Amino acid sequence: MIFEPVSLNISQVSCERDDRLLFQNLSFALSSGDILRVAGPNGAGKTTLLRMIAGLFEVQDGVITIDQEPLSDRRHQVLYIGHKPQVSRDLTVIDNLKFLTGFDEPIVKQALIDVGLRGYHDSLVKELSQGQGRRCALARLWCSEAPIWILDEPYTALDITMVDTLDLKINAHVAQGGLCLFTTHQPPQSLNFETLELGCVD
Amino acid sequence: MSIEKRMLARELKLAAARPGDIFKPMWFLMLVISMVPLALSPDSALLADIGSAMIWVATLLALLLNTEHLFQSDFSDGVLEQWLFLDRPLAWLVGLKLIVHWLFHVVPLICITPIAGLMLSVPTDVLIALLMTLVVATPALTCFSGLGAALTLGSSRSGILGVLVMMPLFVPVVILAAGVLIRATDGSEILPLIALLGAFSLVAATLVPIAVSAAIRLNIGGSN
Repeated sequence: MIFEPVSLNISQVSCERDDRLLFQNLSFALSSGDILRVAGPNGAGKTTLLRMIAGLFEVQDGVITIDQEPLSDRRHQVLYIGHKPQVSRDLTVIDNLKFLTGFDEPIVKQALIDVGLRGYHDSLVKELSQGQGRRCALARLWCSEAPIWILDEPYTALDITMVDTLDLKINAHVAQGGLCLFTTHQPPQSLNFETLELGCVD
Repeated sequence: MSIEKRMLARELKLAAARPGDIFKPMWFLMLVISMVPLALSPDSALLADIGSAMIWVATLLALLLNTEHLFQSDFSDGVLEQWLFLDRPLAWLVGLKLIVHWLFHVVPLICITPIAGLMLSVPTDVLIALLMTLVVATPALTCFSGLGAALTLGSSRSGILGVLVMMPLFVPVVILAAGVLIRATDGSEILPLIALLGAFSLVAATLVPIAVSAAIRLNIGGSN
């Protein structure tokens, strides 16, 4: 699948939370093929910025647009995976993914094989380990039709094999014309990304 | 599969995975009702007088008990914020969730009230009136307690707070239902009041999902 060219514009965005200025007049633009890593110390506002772009946190100051259109009209083009589990503990792996992605069983099962959860599709999420739960949430990337990926700490709790698999997937996604924003404290080796450093506001 | 079908399939599976959420309020209702004759008096004339009102209040409390955490686990798992990315208005999805909740968690409560009625020797015509009021009033009660649950999502141990916030909205429903029960005991016409309760439920079912979706957005915006 090749995506239509897509552009994401962040202009003059500022954020204040609990009387603390997190970032000010932040502007950047991303288009098809870009990977951006949002970096910065704990509490610098990385998650807040990603949630703003995903439309989960209200933009107080500034404008964020996708293809010059407001965020709220283009929500279904965004895939956001935050650092909450993103899956229900009381449901099986496959039921969770079928709900979240809307795809039928064969496609979802293939995605589970791709993330190394072969044979776990009928397990309840609460029976999985932390890393397996994370793999289950990330399996959505393998059956996604959204061009814009926003991943908050996607590498948390993953083993080395899965980190490589995820890097390959992100590379394949941007090669198809998607774009990806993510945060991490350990910069991945096999990705070609730009870095946005937060936390320089005094 | 359409988003609606996916929502329904998920809610059914969640209900099946958490049978305690369905049965606990039913136990609670039966327990309260079986305590009444012990605490008050086993005099069946007295019980028949107050029985229907007791059952009504106990059902209301049981309903509050199972609605106070309606959105809590979806919120803390981060699944609720994923609803915002589905290609449907949030209020519509919330409405679906409330309907499914009513079907699976409130209708079973209504179904066991005739047994409670027999235990308190409530006369048959009053019992029928009681069932009618519950069927038409519980959609409104479910909506209001769902709104309370959504408003207090962000704060932990919020159950009772949500109930307190919504108390003023429960009051008119309870007063109307009590009116129906008194009229049924007198043998006078109850249909006008039942219709009024039904209208209350319809208005609630139309407007409350919009308020719930606003409350959910507010809480998602304030969380990480």
